[in-house]
Amino acid sequence: MEKSGLLTRSLVYYWRTHLAVVWGVATAVAVLAGALLVGESVRASLRDLFLGRLGNTDYVVSSVGFFREELADDLERHEDFHTFFQEASPLVALQGLVVHEASGRRSSRVHVYGVDDRFWAFHRVNASSATSFGGPSGREVFLTESLARELGSEEEDSILLRVEQPYDVPGEFLHGRREGQGRTIRLTAREGLAESGINEFALYPQQGPVHAVFVPLERLQRDLDQEGRVNTVLVSGSNHAGESNGVDVLAKVLQESFQLEDLGLKLRALEDSHSLSLESEQILVSDRLASAAERAAGGLGLGTSLIYTYLANTMRSGSAETPYSLVAALDADGFHTLQGAQERLPLPDGSTERPMVLNDWTAEDLGVRLGDPVTIEYFMWEDEGRLETRSATFQVTGIVPIEGAAGDPNLAPAYPGITDSDALSDWDPPFPIDLDRVRPKDEDYWNLYGATPKAFIPLAVGQELWRSRYGALTAIRILPDGGALRSILDSFRHGLRETLDPTEAGFSIDPVRAQGMEASQGATDFGEYFVYFSFFLVASALLLTGLFFRLGVEQRLTEIGIFYAMGFPARTIRRLFLNEGLVLALIGSVVGLAGAVAYAELIMFGLRTWWVDAVGTRLLTVHVSPTSLFLGGGGGVLAAAGGIAWTLRDVRPMTPRSLLSGASLPTGGRRGLLGARLFGAGTALAAFVLLIGAWLGGLSQVTGFFGAGTLLLLASLSGVWTRLAGGNRGLLTGRGAWAVSRLGFRSVTYRPGRSLLCISLIAFATFVVVAVDAFRRDDRETSLDPKSGTGGYSLLAESLLPLLWDPNSPDGKAALGIDHQEALDGVRFASFRVRRGEDASCLNLYRPQNPRIMAPTESFVESGRFGFTATLAETPQEVANPWLLLDREEPDGAIPVIGDANSMTYVLHLGLGEDLDLPRGGEGALRLRLVGMLRDSVFQGELLMSERNFLRAFPQQEGFRLFLLEAPIDASDGVAELLEQRLDDYGFDVVDTAERLAGFHRVENTYLSTFQTLGGLGLMLGTLGLAAVLLRNVLERRRELALLRAVGYDSRDFSLMVLAENAVLLFWGLASGTLCALVAIVPALASRGGGAAAFSLPSLGLLLLAVLASGVLASLLAVAASVRAPLLQALRAE
Amino acid sequence: MTASADRPLLEVSGLTKDYPAPRGPLSVLSGVDLSLSLGDAVSIMGPSGGGKSTLLYVLGALEPPTSGSVRLEGRSPFDLNERALAAFRNQEIGFVFQDHHLLPQCSVLENVLTPTLVAPVGDDYEARANRLLEQVGLTARVEHRPAELSGGEKQRVAVARALIRGPKLLLCDEPTGNLDPRSAESVASLLLELQAREKRILIVVTHSAELASRFPLRLRLVEGKLKPA
Repeated sequence: MEKSGLLTRSLVYYWRTHLAVVWGVATAVAVLAGALLVGESVRASLRDLFLGRLGNTDYVVSSVGFFREELADDLERHEDFHTFFQEASPLVALQGLVVHEASGRRSSRVHVYGVDDRFWAFHRVNASSATSFGGPSGREVFLTESLARELGSEEEDSILLRVEQPYDVPGEFLHGRREGQGRTIRLTAREGLAESGINEFALYPQQGPVHAVFVPLERLQRDLDQEGRVNTVLVSGSNHAGESNGVDVLAKVLQESFQLEDLGLKLRALEDSHSLSLESEQILVSDRLASAAERAAGGLGLGTSLIYTYLANTMRSGSAETPYSLVAALDADGFHTLQGAQERLPLPDGSTERPMVLNDWTAEDLGVRLGDPVTIEYFMWEDEGRLETRSATFQVTGIVPIEGAAGDPNLAPAYPGITDSDALSDWDPPFPIDLDRVRPKDEDYWNLYGATPKAFIPLAVGQELWRSRYGALTAIRILPDGGALRSILDSFRHGLRETLDPTEAGFSIDPVRAQGMEASQGATDFGEYFVYFSFFLVASALLLTGLFFRLGVEQRLTEIGIFYAMGFPARTIRRLFLNEGLVLALIGSVVGLAGAVAYAELIMFGLRTWWVDAVGTRLLTVHVSPTSLFLGGGGGVLAAAGGIAWTLRDVRPMTPRSLLSGASLPTGGRRGLLGARLFGAGTALAAFVLLIGAWLGGLSQVTGFFGAGTLLLLASLSGVWTRLAGGNRGLLTGRGAWAVSRLGFRSVTYRPGRSLLCISLIAFATFVVVAVDAFRRDDRETSLDPKSGTGGYSLLAESLLPLLWDPNSPDGKAALGIDHQEALDGVRFASFRVRRGEDASCLNLYRPQNPRIMAPTESFVESGRFGFTATLAETPQEVANPWLLLDREEPDGAIPVIGDANSMTYVLHLGLGEDLDLPRGGEGALRLRLVGMLRDSVFQGELLMSERNFLRAFPQQEGFRLFLLEAPIDASDGVAELLEQRLDDYGFDVVDTAERLAGFHRVENTYLSTFQTLGGLGLMLGTLGLAAVLLRNVLERRRELALLRAVGYDSRDFSLMVLAENAVLLFWGLASGTLCALVAIVPALASRGGGAAAFSLPSLGLLLLAVLASGVLASLLAVAASVRAPLLQALRAE
Repeated sequence: MTASADRPLLEVSGLTKDYPAPRGPLSVLSGVDLSLSLGDAVSIMGPSGGGKSTLLYVLGALEPPTSGSVRLEGRSPFDLNERALAAFRNQEIGFVFQDHHLLPQCSVLENVLTPTLVAPVGDDYEARANRLLEQVGLTARVEHRPAELSGGEKQRVAVARALIRGPKLLLCDEPTGNLDPRSAESVASLLLELQAREKRILIVVTHSAELASRFPLRLRLVEGKLKPA
């Protein structure tokens, strides 16, 4: 026989005990590996969900404006395209509001896709089907299944789609449209999307159902006045590998394929002035474009002239006025050329007035001469959302005839509603105009000279007065020395295209597949979370493993003694038992891996049902990952082996004689008692110190009380140990049930180590399960405290279409149609600009790559609302109002942002002072720096930056889309209903701020419930271990029990003894854990008003009842064993 | 105490053994002297709790003495390191206990072979085990488990196990204490028979006067010291 033979024999012979060890290891491995599988499954589910919705798309080329549909073909025709890419498909992608006309049901923030056959071909629809698939045509619309279900829509139902009307001219420029921003399109629902295989198409990851509509491209283009134009191109990669340089290659292809009109640029030849004029559909030309034009012109040896022409409502001198005049600001050369040889008056030294050259018509109309002052009044659209009238005074330094440079109507850009009018009285600009002021002579001027400017000022002055974030020029003149204008135009066009980078002019290229794959890793590592949640299950299982293994070793102590007597070295004996343990651990691990899949299935089922609030989707399924199984199995084996090895250490100090004589494993002795007493005293003292520290404010309440509670728990367990292992006990006398029960109580000291193990497990699990309840969020009522998570605002509103007007101003209210509403008296709006992005709150399972950015107005910043957990405030002002940190200038140009602490910690994983690079689709990333963290606020889905930085970084983002409203709590329902009605065209949605917060809290509370449930399961498992302990005690003491039976104890007495023993273990465990947990959560209880109402009593109570029930069950098993055991035989020889 | 005139194999001199107790050390052996040669068979009797088993455990190097010396073939086992001590016990000493302490998971043959699992490679232990089992009359039971044997049979297996490595010193602690008279007689005869066949030092601790009387050298352990019976 070899040692391996002895190993095999022992494994088989002691199979009962070994089975318990295997079961313990299997449970631990099942839970550990299962938890890791959960993490992998969530990631895989998110990935599958995203990829299934993405179709064949690898990259998205998009623009803030619309561009030629043919650009997609131009990209495909590029020589480099097919090296890395397969196809390009154009479409219009917007967000909209959808209304089911018959029922009035509506859904906001719906993805709207204007598509044609190219889209379906791009995604290989029809590639394998026998029948031909036909996309929507005419006025048909496909709805995704979830949207149709939400609207209750069926085939042939009438659907109203409302989207933002794209205008070239920005709404926050004076000449941009601020009414009629939405366009409603009537469509007919058609079924058949499911046949396409793209049931839910989405370019960006989201775990919830996709609400989307597919509209015929041509229909959408026509209704949006964008015939032949799109705003998105999908590009498929050659092998979906997501090459890291794909974006760079596509950017190069785009650079070499785009046309000026794709950027909204117009280049025309002006024969009269033998020049070219470069203008923008947006009216204003950005500084970046201007410098690119100058570079391009310089490269061709061409001159440039910069122009900014603006409308003055009034030109006044004294009592004379000229209404509605265009004033052109020219660069130095242009201005001086205009003055030319005309008589001019130099400005006196120290004059603050600015020079102005008038044409002679205007000079005569105003009755001015050289040197006279002229004041102009003009409108400016303020970023806060209001029209402001400003004025500036000039000194007439020149009067010129309306000819040559001064008679050029092309100096004015195409102002909608102005320059395209036949008569002055036909003007229809997007701002108030009093046509009664128009005189016949004004009409005559218009008829003769059209939009020819009446006055000229230096460009620098004009830019100072009229600069907008969109630019400070309306045209760039390209001035050739000579040559054919047509050929110069072609050369300049080509040169400008080479100089311009479309990704810096509104285009962006997003590697959506790669980004989505990255996002699918998840913001939350569910594997890690469920390992934590399952900690007590794993710990219980491992402790039981060690317990059962120890029981097995105790059974075979004499065997160990005989090995010593036979000359086995100690190390050989240890290795024999350790190898047995390892084999058991391996077998348990293999069994456990099968259980891991079952555990993962159970958890995923829970996530889809009971805990769906934590994940927000029912589309999660189990994915079995070999890595998770290996890690879980390996971890379980190592932990079990460690526990087993630890058990064998206790055998070492025993002498062969004590082993052979049937002594028990040592319990520590008097030295153990002294150590326990010292430890108990030390931890109790430390707990007291922490309590004092928290009371005096030197420590945070949570740290102080929670730390004290934990230390008190350790102290109480030390006390329990001292009581169990100490020798001094009262005399056991008396009669009847109580005396017998006391005998049972005394039994817990039979194996003090065993008893302490059970008590500790129950106590720790109870402590954690009770204490985590303190972190449950309370959403009973809306707080009006300005420092609370609602900032004192009762309502939060989001608008699909941007509100350009300030809803607090009378003009704004009137423009929005919410004036003269008594319900809105006293209601104040705090408006926020929004750059759409990914939700950075706990509601989003995907890791946000591009979080939503918001910007409050200056008045909100000054109000200093909301509480902060941490900030980088340095000055007293910043400390008093950390919002001021948003205006800080960082030396390296990083933009300061503020975020909610929960989102920063758990979703974006960003710490205070750390940076986040925000991708901008081809343009360099924007560096954001976290300067403050809000405490449990309504801003958990976004980052906030100052309005100034926002407008600088995202100048094309217009208007306000999110609002916080101050309204009386009892009137807030009425306010919400009124605003949703009145602003229905904007897709206005209003919710209670408390409800918004509650949505976030539901996620957190669900995680806590999950932890409590799994912790409770661990607790129950631990109490089942009591059965093993009690059973073992009964078996070991059968001689004593036999003696008791011989002297007259009956089955009832034995039952009472066992029940009493179990009751003591349960009671001490539950009591220690619960009382110490209550100490830990004193601050939380106090904040909720104390008392039973502060707890979620039903769930906690249920949990503790379940623990009690499993403990009683354990007792009953041991009772049955004690009653049935053939005790009297034990009195005989062996 | 000296047995035969041959050169002593086992020399014990001034052996004492104390155990710690709450009221001061408890002296169990108070100066034991003993000299035995190969072929000597000794019975030791004494009152219950008198230290007989303690003496046996010290002689078998299972416990160290408080003072004094034990030498087997001139070597003191207590000068050896743990590994060497284990090897010494494995090679030189055989134990038979009152409770046979057979491994329940192993067969009769396997129980006998157990000490050879840590022995150096060399002898044909299986053949020797079979011969020993033949000598103890259990050839027909080699594949049986301990649970299938009577008390006497189990003790005979224990004797065979103790002899598998051919030890020079065979120590028996109440080998017949748990047996019925017939089995006890059988085991006692076996021990003496084997002693006659293979010369070794046999020391038997017993409270059975009848068993003790069968030994040429009879000693008593009284007040921690060995005296002739």
